[in-house]
Amino acid sequence: MANALEFESPITKRYPSGGSRDLALSDESSQTKTLVRAADDSAAASQLGVAFGGSRHQAGVHIIGQRPTEWLLVGDESAAAAMVVGLDRTGHVSVIDHTHARALLRLTGERSADVLSKICNVDFGDHMTPDGSALSASVAKVGCDITRDDASGIRSYRIACDRSFAQYLFDAILDAGREFSLTAVGA
Amino acid sequence: MLLVPCPNCGPRNASDFAYGGESHVRPNPNQATPEEWRSYLYMEDNPAGWLKETWYCRSGCRRFFTVERNTATNEFREHPIPGTKLGGKA
Ligand SMILES: [Zn+2]
Repeated sequence: MANALEFESPITKRYPSGGSRDLALSDESSQTKTLVRAADDSAAASQLGVAFGGSRHQAGVHIIGQRPTEWLLVGDESAAAAMVVGLDRTGHVSVIDHTHARALLRLTGERSADVLSKICNVDFGDHMTPDGSALSASVAKVGCDITRDDASGIRSYRIACDRSFAQYLFDAILDAGREFSLTAVGA
Repeated sequence: MLLVPCPNCGPRNASDFAYGGESHVRPNPNQATPEEWRSYLYMEDNPAGWLKETWYCRSGCRRFFTVERNTATNEFREHPIPGTKLGGKA
């Protein structure tokens, strides 16, 4: 579509982008986010195929087991819609579009765990939170859902929070990352 | 720092939790006398020793759970922490 609206992040634009990208913070809030709630023994749960605390990628969708009996599906609009349509709704299953309720940031770089360790009390060592781990925790006093999602072997985290906290959280992470030369990257 | 063993999230700083107080069985509101009800609502055992108590995992899984803690030593016992709680990329 020629006139498709480009996503312009309102929370990154005050920062100049560029410089070193060895450690980068970006806004992925334009991704479609769908919350699924279902019992652990439901058909939907086995379809999603990941338990609380883990995550996996399937057909362009990042399936995150972010809480017991609760999953978040992250992907572009068409991939997310396809997965939702294919979801087995047998039993008690609820599906809610959270795209506009939640902001989604991504912190990438070998030193990303050092940045997060300054503002979050979770152990980000490989033994506790290997690639794929999903957990909820307070980050700079904001309740966040964190998923480790390494990209090409580079350590990377997806951090979701309520959207009204997004600017504050973005600023707080950048502030924590200043000593490691963390750079804001435009969407 | 008090490390509270959440059965879902593992040991976390106590600041991640809300304390729910002593765990008592709720009497049947249709049969309890006013004295029993008042005792359930307001009276605590407050022992210096092992106590069964309720915690709410506010920053993590957002679930309530019951665990035994020694109020004198802050030691937790027989807490159900699954060994494979964190998983990984499937
Ligand atoms: Zn928990």
